[in-house]
Amino acid sequence: MRTMMRWALAPVCVLALAGCGEQKAGEANAAAPSNRTITATLKDDRSFGTLERVLDNAALGDVLAGKGPYTVFAPSDAAFTASAGDLGDEAMKAQGAAMLRAHIVPGALTRADILSAINRGGSGTAEMRTMANSLLTFSKEGDAIIVTGDNGARAKLTGDESVASNGVVQPVDALLVKPAAAAPAA
Amino acid sequence: MYKLVPITTALVLALAAAQPALAQGHGNGKGGDKHEGGGHQDRGNGGGNGHQDRGDQGRGNGHENRGQGNGQDRRADRADVRALEVVRVDPRHMDREVRREVERQVFQTRDGRPVVYFQRERDRGLIAGCPPGLAKKNNGCLPPGQARQIARAVEADRYDWLWRTRDDAYNYRYDSGYLYRVDRQGSLLGWLPVLGGALSPGSAWPSQFAYQPAPEYYSSYFGLPSNQQYRYADGALYGVDPQTQMISQVAALLTGQNLSVGQALPSGYDVYNVPYAYRDQYADNANAMYRYNDGYVYQADPKTQLITAVIQLLT
Repeated sequence: MRTMMRWALAPVCVLALAGCGEQKAGEANAAAPSNRTITATLKDDRSFGTLERVLDNAALGDVLAGKGPYTVFAPSDAAFTASAGDLGDEAMKAQGAAMLRAHIVPGALTRADILSAINRGGSGTAEMRTMANSLLTFSKEGDAIIVTGDNGARAKLTGDESVASNGVVQPVDALLVKPAAAAPAA
Repeated sequence: MYKLVPITTALVLALAAAQPALAQGHGNGKGGDKHEGGGHQDRGNGGGNGHQDRGDQGRGNGHENRGQGNGQDRRADRADVRALEVVRVDPRHMDREVRREVERQVFQTRDGRPVVYFQRERDRGLIAGCPPGLAKKNNGCLPPGQARQIARAVEADRYDWLWRTRDDAYNYRYDSGYLYRVDRQGSLLGWLPVLGGALSPGSAWPSQFAYQPAPEYYSSYFGLPSNQQYRYADGALYGVDPQTQMISQVAALLTGQNLSVGQALPSGYDVYNVPYAYRDQYADNANAMYRYNDGYVYQADPKTQLITAVIQLLT
């Protein structure tokens, strides 16, 4: 995966005489974004083939190529388990769109921003509202950032974030909605 | 560039006896809803006390006249407008649209422009009954005499989890572009067209489905073509061809959260998320925190969490 933040932060740290260690949320962590959109970023990364297919099928590629900004918690191919069904199927456009909305939040969230929010709150958690009107809860587990969906779905932020021209792509290792939480018996 | 409205400025403007700027409108009439969700309580039932307007006249332009006349009607203690909010075909008179007027409080920017944003519909704009052509059965809306739909509904139940939210007491079924809400006994409670289903590029806008016409700010912010109408419904902004009523694009996803000056930031805004281009200007500090939502940056007091200003992001 391309690591925009890794190389981009280095010159920032060198040039910023104050040093990166003193940064607050929304300050020095604002590394220069790529000139690629979120949609282009996802297409360039082979680990998001299924997500890209769902995105195209739901006709939301243009949205993530638009102004935004959005942060997409991008499930890897392995995150799309059989129990989730084939959300990229032609007949599954609405289901795919619903799934995608639960993985998108408004604005640009870097991992530094998320960690800062977790550390700032007394509960050790931080919440963000998704485009599906659900809440994602972030917490730390060792060095990892865990994100938990409304219905208990749980994922880990993996790999490297990609700062796009219109938001951020944050890879996750599982879906943020849980197929197992199906409807209770009628 | 951006325009900042500290709460003190907003109050001064609201208290001023006559502010012609308020009446300038620019078609951007929507602001903080004085009664949160209050104007939406009967949405989805075809109710409301709005006036009726025929055909497409003015369709999508509800905000254009919003600000006009407010100089006369505005009360001294707040800035109010009478805003057109809901457009729907009256099922009793299919050639008519029902438009509901709601009273909204408007916060202004320094140049007199109202701050506008959409509000996610209470109950998602759920419509009671069944879509045209389908009959209500115990377990959903079915074409008359076609029990095969029952089997399809069972398959549709499988994806209930995609629409269920926290503490949701309902079940959901998706079929042929529409989402159906049913209670746990299986009785139909309502339906709505959904993104990726009936609300997809190439589909005609469902005539019974309510929407909020998009004000100019959103077209400007998202850089949208001017030859389309833009409609907000259920968390998305759609481009619609004004002649054919066909959906041309999904222009943006929005939370539709109603954030107003003076209210506390709701849950779900813990993480700093300001767009990169504005981070130098709006960095969190001891006196102010900034959060982005639906085209605006909101400034809040870090101690009280109360929103103190709304900032437009036009460049």
